[in-house]
Amino acid sequence: MSTPAQVWSYRTLIVNLAQRELKSRYKRSLLGWLWSLINPAVTLGVYTVVFGVFFGATAPVAGNGKSAVFALWLFCGLVMWNMFSGAINTAISSFSGAGGLLTRTYFPPECPMIAGLITVIIQALLEGGILIFFLAVIGNVSFTMLLILPLFALMACFAFGVGLVLGLMNIRYRDVFYLTGIAMQVLFYATPIVYQMSILNPTTQAILRFNPLTSYVGAMRQVAYFLDFPTPGSWFVMVISATVSLVGGWMIFSRWAPTVIEEL
Amino acid sequence: MSAIVVDGVSKKFRLHTDRAHSLKELVTRRDRNAGIDQFYALNDVSLEIPEGSMYALVGHNGSGKSTLLRCIAGIYRPTAGSVKVEGRISTLLELGAGFHPDLTGRENVYMNATILGMSKKQIDGVFDDIVEFAGIGDFIDSPVKIYSSGMYVRLGFSVAIHVDPEILIIDEVIAVGDEEFQRKCFDHLADLRRRGVTIVVVTHGMGTVETMCDGAAWLDHGVLQQEGPAADIASSYLRRVNEQERADRHAEAVAAAEAATDLRVVPELDLAAVGEEWYGEDLEILDVWFADATGVAVSTGTTGQALTVNITYRAHRSVEDPVFGFMIHTENDTPVAGTNTRLSGIETGRIEGDGVIQIKMPKLQLLPGNYEFTIGVNDKFLQHTYDRHYRSHPFAVRRGTEPIGVGFVDLDVTWGTDGSSAAPTDAAAVRPPEQRP
Repeated sequence: MSTPAQVWSYRTLIVNLAQRELKSRYKRSLLGWLWSLINPAVTLGVYTVVFGVFFGATAPVAGNGKSAVFALWLFCGLVMWNMFSGAINTAISSFSGAGGLLTRTYFPPECPMIAGLITVIIQALLEGGILIFFLAVIGNVSFTMLLILPLFALMACFAFGVGLVLGLMNIRYRDVFYLTGIAMQVLFYATPIVYQMSILNPTTQAILRFNPLTSYVGAMRQVAYFLDFPTPGSWFVMVISATVSLVGGWMIFSRWAPTVIEEL
Repeated sequence: MSAIVVDGVSKKFRLHTDRAHSLKELVTRRDRNAGIDQFYALNDVSLEIPEGSMYALVGHNGSGKSTLLRCIAGIYRPTAGSVKVEGRISTLLELGAGFHPDLTGRENVYMNATILGMSKKQIDGVFDDIVEFAGIGDFIDSPVKIYSSGMYVRLGFSVAIHVDPEILIIDEVIAVGDEEFQRKCFDHLADLRRRGVTIVVVTHGMGTVETMCDGAAWLDHGVLQQEGPAADIASSYLRRVNEQERADRHAEAVAAAEAATDLRVVPELDLAAVGEEWYGEDLEILDVWFADATGVAVSTGTTGQALTVNITYRAHRSVEDPVFGFMIHTENDTPVAGTNTRLSGIETGRIEGDGVIQIKMPKLQLLPGNYEFTIGVNDKFLQHTYDRHYRSHPFAVRRGTEPIGVGFVDLDVTWGTDGSSAAPTDAAAVRPPEQRP
């Protein structure tokens, strides 16, 4: 079992793997890293048009008390969601991608997973920065925005733990890849990202609260859009889910990764 | 002081003849162990590798050598037993394993070296040496996908040996690359060993084992056959390979005889006698050893120096005029030279009991490299083989003090400078004037 200390001694490798991923991702493309902005921008645009214009969804009034911009309200949720789905997908591809390397030389198998997570965190920080910029443009800024960082950290832990287990299972059963794709679609709409909780009946609302992502998305909107603090309830859900996911996922991964690698 | 202690290591693999690859199969399958065969790639292997030594693992394909290397490197966990390793390991199980085709040589060097456990600062320090050793030159800033396979391999090897390991584990990778690069690699390995690095190699080149290694272990089907000084292991291993081959040939001959029996319907043919006639122990090669000018036994020769190949034999009954012959191969199969006593016009006469026949070379014309001798003895009509040691006598040739050319042999040539610049006519070229009728 790889301990965090062992993994720490391979930090140079982790940084290099992350750099390699970032460098090779947009090699031979004209727009290069701009693609990492174009993707979320288009998603945001499409959802804004479909839900904000066609369905006439409106956003609640922002923390500054005067603006209510649907696109920015939506973006808050999307940043969190992108980080979650990005971390899961990267975890799956990192492990199968590093397989060849792992059978030829020894290093803790957690390393490529962490490297993948780092690229996702960088992407999230980039999107978070753009979000803050536009919120600042409409005059909606406060120190509560600093809490975005701990929220990102909790989300990273939560998604990483889940990703470790899925990445591991995917090597044995390719179905995991397809199942994950479907689960992500369902989960996206089972999380109040493109709609407000208040439009649902109380029973559905209660069910959705069992989804930890509801708390992450809600907390993000609290600190960035409403310029307020997350509710104690959502803090509780986030801390517990992140801890359980990270510790459990790490233990399962460390226990089974060497066996799975031998079967690659 | 042992750098590596392998204690009773077994490694069990599951052969999935029909493994569940989807969740559906996993759920619907009743007997989850159906179709799973288990086999031991390693079975209770124990050995100790002393610090600062060069150690070889030998054995035929599938004998568990590479599995043992991976257990030592920590890639595989032993099913039973333990591996203790003292020191920082660098592995070279496949060259350029971590190379990303789209990244440049420079980026890949940093990547690969960190996989092998180096920090950025350390890599900065040896980066120029790595490029220099690999002979990549300006290509270092081009993506590795445009590299030739030779460049790819050279860069991979260069990185692995420059990571300054305490223990270096190499799996048959040196066999790639051209002759010059191989020699450079071996020189570098010898250098590392002098600095106290423990080196474990898997190799099929017995010449490498005998000339470079201190100790060796011989594995067969995951079981340790023998462990000890490299030269002893190499010769026991080769003897086994030899016996196996002779047994195969004997079986072939018997099968051929049986087939012949069926065709001709010869009754009461004694199969044992047929085998005897072809491959009997009438005349047996006991040993082959090399001696230098002073008659001292050696395992390496020097280009330009005298060399004698001694073939000791035993005739179990008297044999008339047997023909002794030899053939020299390079390690990679190229035949270099060969002749026999009949071609040389030698009559060996009637042979009885034990004796020695010598191949004398006043000036060894082989150029530096690893060679293998095949020694055989046939009846005087070259119809029956009494005994043959096929490529079982490895022999390494080292460079002497004199300047040498390239290739396998140093031809005895002289150069002339008094010729005419115009080509002579055909007739003149074919027949020198004094031979004209």
